[in-house]
Amino acid sequence: MLAPEYIEWLLSGFGITVLLSLTSCVAASVIGALVCGLRISQSKLLRTFARTYIDIFRNTPLLVQLFFWYFGAASLLSSDLMIWLNTPRSLSLGFMTLYWPSFEFLAGFIGLTFYTSAFISEELRSGIQAIPQGQHHAAAALGFTPRQIFFLIILPQAIRVSLFPLLGQYMNALKNSSLTMAIGLAELSYASRQVETVTFKTFQAFGIATVLYVLAIAILELIGRHIYKRHILLRGAF
Amino acid sequence: MNLSVIWDNLDYLLIGAWPNGPVGGLALTVILSISSAIASAVLGLILGIAMVMASQRFEALLATALGFFRAIPIIMLIFWIYFLLPVLFGITAPQVGTVVIALSLVGGAYLGHGVAAGIRSVSSKQWDAGLALGLKRWEVLRLIILPQALPRMMPSFINQWISLIKDTSLAYVIGVPELSFVATQVNNRAMVYPIEVFLFIGLVYFILCTACDMLANRTTKWAGLIVR
Repeated sequence: MLAPEYIEWLLSGFGITVLLSLTSCVAASVIGALVCGLRISQSKLLRTFARTYIDIFRNTPLLVQLFFWYFGAASLLSSDLMIWLNTPRSLSLGFMTLYWPSFEFLAGFIGLTFYTSAFISEELRSGIQAIPQGQHHAAAALGFTPRQIFFLIILPQAIRVSLFPLLGQYMNALKNSSLTMAIGLAELSYASRQVETVTFKTFQAFGIATVLYVLAIAILELIGRHIYKRHILLRGAF
Repeated sequence: MNLSVIWDNLDYLLIGAWPNGPVGGLALTVILSISSAIASAVLGLILGIAMVMASQRFEALLATALGFFRAIPIIMLIFWIYFLLPVLFGITAPQVGTVVIALSLVGGAYLGHGVAAGIRSVSSKQWDAGLALGLKRWEVLRLIILPQALPRMMPSFINQWISLIKDTSLAYVIGVPELSFVATQVNNRAMVYPIEVFLFIGLVYFILCTACDMLANRTTKWAGLIVR
């Protein structure tokens, strides 16, 4: 078996994987909803912008995007800002302490967020297309503004329709977070490789990491089924 | 913007060290994409047909196995294959082969479900009619069901192939000199033009993916016309 020290490496890697995936998914959902709104807006200019955004982020590898943010951003930003970004600092809230993330984490967060947001906006759009036009007309007749119609009437229903596709994207984000090992973020895949290099216990190192990934995916799947049973099956999707 | 870094290294980015060394760069990315696209399509067809034709218990077993391959990151799968192939079969796997196996397994696992869904989308009356005409189950599948189901599966194949093109970049983690890897080499050597290097590489992948999409769409339309 692995010494406790190495188990700790793997667990802290898993912690970073979960933290990165969670924060990226939240940010990507917000951006994805906004881009989706632009994608179906009345203005042709906004539609073209959204389409270009989606195409660019979906049709290039996440790895290249991560390299771009990690190496490119560093060369674009002023050196003062880079020093500021790289300075460790912490914020004490009494019951817990928040640490400033590493530059690797920031680059990984930005890359994973933009990449995932493009997929989420397309899932939302197909969810929206499944909502009957009548809903739109009814809301307009009741005096809702177009923005209110989208955010209060259409989007909540579309989210229900696209629950499982969205969940699939969150699972993809979790798996894709493993690519940040290429820019040196010590998440789970990176940690498993590191433990393997140091201990030569390949089977244990990769095994534990694999089990942790499968576990995280299984939990997402269970959450999805729970939401489906509690909120959609009982109330009806439409 | 300073594009000289691209021009000076264009050969290396496109074909790697070839002909004085192994093929690399864009050429290797294309080779990796095509070989894993074919292998994953074959594997996906076999798995999908097996799921439809097999008993319920075997189908559940197969679905669980496929679920496992879809649940772990491709990077972990590449690590496993790189480590397990020599242990289990006593062969030192070439890195390129490792990547193709990993991508084919993942692609096949995703496509298996698409194929099974495509076959099930053909009305069950077609099965009944075929069996009533005295054909065997496999003959019904091959002569009646698949010709109708295959064009319907094309969209999931295309999406999977586009993912595959992007996923070949993961070969980077075990040092296969494909496009992303040589790009980081060029970037590390020059170190001053990361924006130019990675924008250019992104553009190349973008063109590859878009071209695959357009070509596949056209072929699907053409195949659809033939079938009808």
